[in-house]
Amino acid sequence: MLDRERAAYEKHAAQWARQNPAKFAVVKEDSLAGVFDTIDEALAAGVSSFGLEPFLVRQLGQPPQEISIPALTMGLLRAHP
Amino acid sequence: MPILNVQLGGQGRSSDGKTIQIPPQAALTMRGPVVQVTVSAGRAIAQQILQQGGSLPPPVSGLALIDTGATSTCVDDAAAQQLQVPVIDVVKIASASHSETEQNVYPISIEVVGLPIAIDAPRAIGAPLAAQGLLVLIGRDLLQQCILVYNGVSGSFSLSL
Repeated sequence: MLDRERAAYEKHAAQWARQNPAKFAVVKEDSLAGVFDTIDEALAAGVSSFGLEPFLVRQLGQPPQEISIPALTMGLLRAHP
Repeated sequence: MPILNVQLGGQGRSSDGKTIQIPPQAALTMRGPVVQVTVSAGRAIAQQILQQGGSLPPPVSGLALIDTGATSTCVDDAAAQQLQVPVIDVVKIASASHSETEQNVYPISIEVVGLPIAIDAPRAIGAPLAAQGLLVLIGRDLLQQCILVYNGVSGSFSLSL
């Protein structure tokens, strides 16, 4: 899912971030579809342009999201002795 | 600031099959801080769909576990697909059973039953939560907007935002 969009983002992220620091980018296929001040604006624009198809939304210049969900990843939500 | 006070309780069966009351302290220990929620498409997306003349699937109801150990909020993947919200990113998560899996990210809105406010979770991670009887894991990305008081002694907790 979103393979092309993620590849395009990795390739161009530094350049896009220099040109649009801290903005929210909408990427569809290999192209930057737009940059926006807020994630809500980016989401609305993405749906306006692409409907319910997948599109990538990320904040430019931000490091990759650090995710830690131990209960889920360690399978501890319903552990039994 | 609206406050939701929850004291869990319930019934269980003893080893001889009799129905017994579970005290709140034990119920909270076993189930954790869970709240009833309804999940729908994120507000920005919902407004755009409606402006374009589209319609929205009905919200999905279920239980949410407040998980202070989780950085990110998760939503049951099947429920998110049912809501027809677009996938807006993919993240990699390592688990006990798989070295690394890719999980979709969805923009959703969560309404806690009993609180008159919906909270947007614009980057909720899809995960197979339904098998655990859960619809949502509420992580610290949402809790940063809330006050959570966990009272293990009385078997209760309160959530306000």
